[in-house]
Amino acid sequence: MSAPAATPDLAQTAPGARIGVVTFPGSLDDTDALRAVRLCGAEPVPLWHASQSLDGVDAVILPGGFSYGDYLRCGAIARFSPLMAELITAAGQGLPVLGICNGFQILCEAHLLPGALIRNDVRTFVCKEQRLRVESTDTVWTHDFLPAEEISIVLKNGEGGYVADADTIERLEGEDQVVFRYLGPNPNGSVNDIAGITNDRGNVVGLMPHPEHNVEPLTAPSTDGRRFFTSVIGFLARTR
Amino acid sequence: MARVVVEVMPKPEILDPQGKAVTGALARMGFAGLTVRQGKRFEIEVEGELDEARLAQVHEAAEKLLANTVIEAFEVRSDEASTAPVGGSPADPASVAQGQVSTQPDVPTSEPAATDAAAVPADNQPATEAPNAEAAGQS
Repeated sequence: MSAPAATPDLAQTAPGARIGVVTFPGSLDDTDALRAVRLCGAEPVPLWHASQSLDGVDAVILPGGFSYGDYLRCGAIARFSPLMAELITAAGQGLPVLGICNGFQILCEAHLLPGALIRNDVRTFVCKEQRLRVESTDTVWTHDFLPAEEISIVLKNGEGGYVADADTIERLEGEDQVVFRYLGPNPNGSVNDIAGITNDRGNVVGLMPHPEHNVEPLTAPSTDGRRFFTSVIGFLARTR
Repeated sequence: MARVVVEVMPKPEILDPQGKAVTGALARMGFAGLTVRQGKRFEIEVEGELDEARLAQVHEAAEKLLANTVIEAFEVRSDEASTAPVGGSPADPASVAQGQVSTQPDVPTSEPAATDAAAVPADNQPATEAPNAEAAGQS
């Protein structure tokens, strides 16, 4: 597995780090996520939602898309996939987990992250380049960013409005569990412009924007997405 | 075969973009004064006798899957049309005052934020699932 020579983060590459990407029926961005993992220097491992095993991976990504056609609620049915039972246990033991868009929705449905995602207040599907501010670098997926750094990650969703009760929002804000905030006009009605959050341990992160689409200059307005993957690879290199 | 109905509604404090869209469309069509919140209704055919234990099972299913109690409230009741009553107590809000049909279609509805709370029927806030709503939001 050769990583691109231009990557400045190669010193932090964890040789043999294996990052799984779960495919559900209706997943859309699993292939891009696998590709991003490879481009950033780890071994991508495809995982199937109906499997009972995480295959010994070092980290897991729940990709974007429309699992189970978004029937019932986004992520509601995928949350009960056989693999999710394993994932919930492993996440509780510290396994790094990143949920992107539909993956974020699944993490909320699974109660690995608090709150929920509802239909955009603008009532339309949003697909755009989105400026974000990094609010917390104290997670395994974001420590390669600078505190308060402004980055650009593409956003594409119909149900990306983050909501939670007032106590939960207060706790998230107070405990530095808000990881990303939208800059500029709020694209979907999320409370406090919240674009991404983490659990109290910092190993589970969910966000609506799509870092796996921001890894190559040819197809993305920025390559800021790379640092999600280099962050976790660096974390694995230090801890394995 | 007994039938149980589960109705799921967005909690009053949660924005309901679909309901707002329908509300706006109704106003444009001339149906003034109608504020809509949109929910879901599940009709469940239950095998065997519909006793309290079976109803409790449906309640658990609703809480686990049919509703997300972080953002939604739900109500479980037996459907008397097809089953003997087993403690179902539908307070049907069908007697709500009907919205007047206006011939002036361009009268805007009042600010949705101000009317949302008032528009939600009280019977969508059952005490049945309240204790778990809090826990459901935690990881």
